Amino acid sequence: MIEDSGFTDVHIGEAVDTFGGAQGEPQARSFEVYGYAFIARRASE
Amino acid sequence: MTEDLMVDPEVLREQVRDKYREVAAEPERTFHFHTGRPLAARLGYETAAVDALPDRAVESFAGVGNPFSLRRLMPAERVVDVGSGAGFDSFIAAGQVGPTGQVIGVDMTIEMLEKSRETASGLGSDHVSFVDGFAEELPVDDGWADAVISNGVINLCADKRAVFDEIHRVLKPGGVLQFADIANGRPVPPEALRDIDLWTG
Repeated sequence: MIEDSGFTDVHIGEAVDTFGGAQGEPQARSFEVYGYAFIARRASE
Repeated sequence: MTEDLMVDPEVLREQVRDKYREVAAEPERTFHFHTGRPLAARLGYETAAVDALPDRAVESFAGVGNPFSLRRLMPAERVVDVGSGAGFDSFIAAGQVGPTGQVIGVDMTIEMLEKSRETASGLGSDHVSFVDGFAEELPVDDGWADAVISNGVINLCADKRAVFDEIHRVLKPGGVLQFADIANGRPVPPEALRDIDLWTG
């Protein structure tokens, strides 16, 4: 989807256990939900 | 509502506002997600940068990752923070771009905007401003930004393609989108995706 909007050079960082120890942890675990950093560049014209 | 959206965007926006009003007004409460300084430490933010901020700038932080972990902003860059909340990431960004840079935080929750503006005023950060707006309709000129940041916001938007299109519009050619968000490794059933209560926890 990011590339569909005209971005290039898309990279994704390591998973972070965003919800570990929080009330939302069981829900997050059930769908393997983690936080990620993303980076992408708008193509030069 | 276009037929390919799983939920009504307006209904979702109102539920998100309700949730984040609580985070702005009562940050000491327990939510389904972590908040504040413990969360910033968990997500790997630079300790010195966080320690330099007043509690008011950090206590309502409710991000899901670290948008600065893959790239540090450069001095003098112009930055848009999509869904800036109480301003935590905007203030971190302001420190990285320095006084010759500029940061615009955009948020749709009035309580968050008021909190972030008061913090900016208290810090004397005149290169940081906060404006009312939606991620799908950013109040920023075409090609204004060197970088766009966001943290845990795009997953709360019904039309993600519209958000990415809008971010593309405000970035200058060659500009960088660096954001943090959640992703699931296991598929979520369609009936759950249509359950708006699950979007905001």
